[in-house]
Amino acid sequence: MSVVAGKELRIVGFLCNWCSYGGADTAGVSRFKQPSDLRIIRVPCSGRVDPLFVVKALLNGADGVLVAGCHPNDCHYSEGNFYARRRLEMLKKFLSYMGIDDKRFHYTWVSASEGARWQQVVTDFTKQIHALGPLHQKEEAGD
Amino acid sequence: MAKLGYLPKEKLTDFLENLKKKYRIYVPCQDGDAVLFQPFDGEKPLCLDRPATVSPKSVIFPQTDILFSFDYRKSSEDPKQVSIELTENLDFPETVIFGSRPCDAKGFLIYDRPYTQTDMPDIYYKGRREKTTIITLACNYPSPGCFCTSVGGDPADKEGSDILMTDVGTGYFFEAVTAKGEEIVEDAVFEDGSSYQEKAQAAHKAVADLVKKPFDSTEGLPEKLLSLFENDAFWEAEAAKCISCGACTYLCPTCYCFNITDEQAGSKGERIRSWDACMFYHFTLEASGHNPRPLKQQRLKNRVGHKFSYYPKKYEGAIACCGCGRCIRSCPVSVDISEIVAHAQEYKDEPSK
Amino acid sequence: MTQKKLKEVVQKVLPDVDMVIGYRQGFDPVHATPFFVTRPEQIDELIWNPLCVHNLASYIPSLTTNKKVAVIVKGCDSRAINQYLQENLINRENLVVIGIPCSGVVSVSKVLKAVDHQIIESVSCENHAVTVKTSQGEKKLSVSDVSPDKCKTCLYPTPLVYDHLVGDPITSDKEPESVYDEVRSFEEKSLEDRFQFWKTELDRCIRCYACRNACPMCICQDRCIAESRDPHWVTQKTNQTEKFMYHMIHALHLAGRCVECEECTRVCPMEIPVAKIKKKINMEMDQLFDYKAGLNAEDTPPMYTFKVDEETIEEHEL
Repeated sequence: MSVVAGKELRIVGFLCNWCSYGGADTAGVSRFKQPSDLRIIRVPCSGRVDPLFVVKALLNGADGVLVAGCHPNDCHYSEGNFYARRRLEMLKKFLSYMGIDDKRFHYTWVSASEGARWQQVVTDFTKQIHALGPLHQKEEAGD
Repeated sequence: MAKLGYLPKEKLTDFLENLKKKYRIYVPCQDGDAVLFQPFDGEKPLCLDRPATVSPKSVIFPQTDILFSFDYRKSSEDPKQVSIELTENLDFPETVIFGSRPCDAKGFLIYDRPYTQTDMPDIYYKGRREKTTIITLACNYPSPGCFCTSVGGDPADKEGSDILMTDVGTGYFFEAVTAKGEEIVEDAVFEDGSSYQEKAQAAHKAVADLVKKPFDSTEGLPEKLLSLFENDAFWEAEAAKCISCGACTYLCPTCYCFNITDEQAGSKGERIRSWDACMFYHFTLEASGHNPRPLKQQRLKNRVGHKFSYYPKKYEGAIACCGCGRCIRSCPVSVDISEIVAHAQEYKDEPSK
Repeated sequence: MTQKKLKEVVQKVLPDVDMVIGYRQGFDPVHATPFFVTRPEQIDELIWNPLCVHNLASYIPSLTTNKKVAVIVKGCDSRAINQYLQENLINRENLVVIGIPCSGVVSVSKVLKAVDHQIIESVSCENHAVTVKTSQGEKKLSVSDVSPDKCKTCLYPTPLVYDHLVGDPITSDKEPESVYDEVRSFEEKSLEDRFQFWKTELDRCIRCYACRNACPMCICQDRCIAESRDPHWVTQKTNQTEKFMYHMIHALHLAGRCVECEECTRVCPMEIPVAKIKKKINMEMDQLFDYKAGLNAEDTPPMYTFKVDEETIEEHEL
């Protein structure tokens, strides 16, 4: 996947299959325009998201990472997003300690019918990442 | 006739700056609380009064060595046709290791046998080895844990170095050992060194007497260790406190095992040789899932055995340990290889045990 | 004398167990080393003094599956035992805990720095000071000056779990808030400075995994994802990305589990402050979930559970 030079940044999204992916689908079907920097990875539940996925993405070339799941109490698997909430909150507080701007990581809850909200989330997050610029922690050279 | 030179301490930086014009120089520098061999840049403070935390082996045997890069290319006419482009770089620059210790220099001699004295020499190791000059600093006093004199070494051993330096107080006495060394000592910054030779030799002898001798000799040691091979109780006791990390192996000047892995992302990648450690569980883990050395005492037995038994048996008695003591100093629980060898030497079979 | 009492307790305990894990003098005057006592004649070699830094609790999980083991623990070490009990990682019936109240240990690294890395000829210890003799003379160092950072903010000098207690309990005189002072002052640096700090420190990392293997809570060692090829989290390259990735894996897998024994920093051969990373996560666990690892065996680690309504977590706005 090549980045349209100078125009697009690499934003990775982890979306839960049921609510947030459905919400993104709704936004697409309704033809809501969104920036195309975001590339989506579908997971069964936001509880599947290991905080290390976010870290690996950020360290290996992503400029921003978005995680979206069902609203708490509405998880398709009942509890997955409760665990996700704890883990991702911990990660959000931790990233800046290592020198990685925590504004590059965002997690939110989007339901399947919230197409307009999804469009808002993607647009705002992409704007936020563009304001921060590309992340320079991509070292290719070995020792 | 070895070339002798004297370098006053104030002229050390001038000497290194001059040398830098021809060579890439690695010097022991203070980095945080550790002392590491890093490229000389004239700014970082040198640290010569104690051996470096890691041996300089990464100069000739880098922790990560890119053997070649590869790129899979699909033909645009026929996507089923794939070609591979390989690029490798065997251009190694002229390098100097400055300020290693005699034990560090000896480490490379241990490497030379398996890596170059075969009918298929390792081109990466050999390429760097041939382009590297080693300027060794004789030790002023022993370091905690070191025992070079028990394994055929000496705090002023010249073997393996191109130049031996000795700190004689106001400056350094340089003694060229090889033709490469002589070339360097010809630099104009040197004064005539012959008047310092006696002082240096006396200092060498004094330090050698201070080095600890944890065991008497390595005579018969290979056989003694082999006789303990099936003695699980002995190795279980010795390995009880080991936590099976790789600190000892990675810091050791004579440990030379490696891994080769292909690291690929998309269609591009690199084949990398990286350090491996026999103390890791993964060292002997096979693709089937079976592991011949699943227990840490088996791995410790292998490490001690390799250095003091298998390698000497293969290479006419040469011990694959230089006695630098790094493994003992840096071990999280102070596993002491010299103590293990001493226990092995003294071990007597007691039927009641 | 605590050392004498310790030997008496071990004498009593040894017949009922396969081994007693304690400390004895190491390869040089400033190092102690773990000691596995299996026979009564070895008991005399046991020592107890400020050199006894190692967390001996790390040996417990692999041994208590089929052996009966007694372990000598300080306050910080005992937290690891509680954490093991919370996570069901050890067989409590196979374990005898000999607790010793501790008023601080020394960091070998700091002692060496204090004597300019001169060769140490002898070390003598009293409860609150060590006298170090080198060729340059004698230097008396107070333990608190050369102790690891954990001792400066130690809230649990007396072991929190034990079957035998050697010595009188000690109460902490440290402020509970001070535990995370170091984290707060680090957070006053700019983002760029913080990144540069970790870049410089982690650049020395050689991925020897001493920190992981010494950690009492890292029990996956032989199956660690940092070393697995499938899934492939970390490559064999030694660039900044891989070093950061390994340390993030180590720290994040200890979220809500790190007992702050600081073994990781102590054992790092390259003197990297590994424990500093986990201290931040611990602070968050404390603030978000009111949880400190290893305080008692009945707690549940915060990452293992959830609340339907989390009062401390608010939805983030963009």
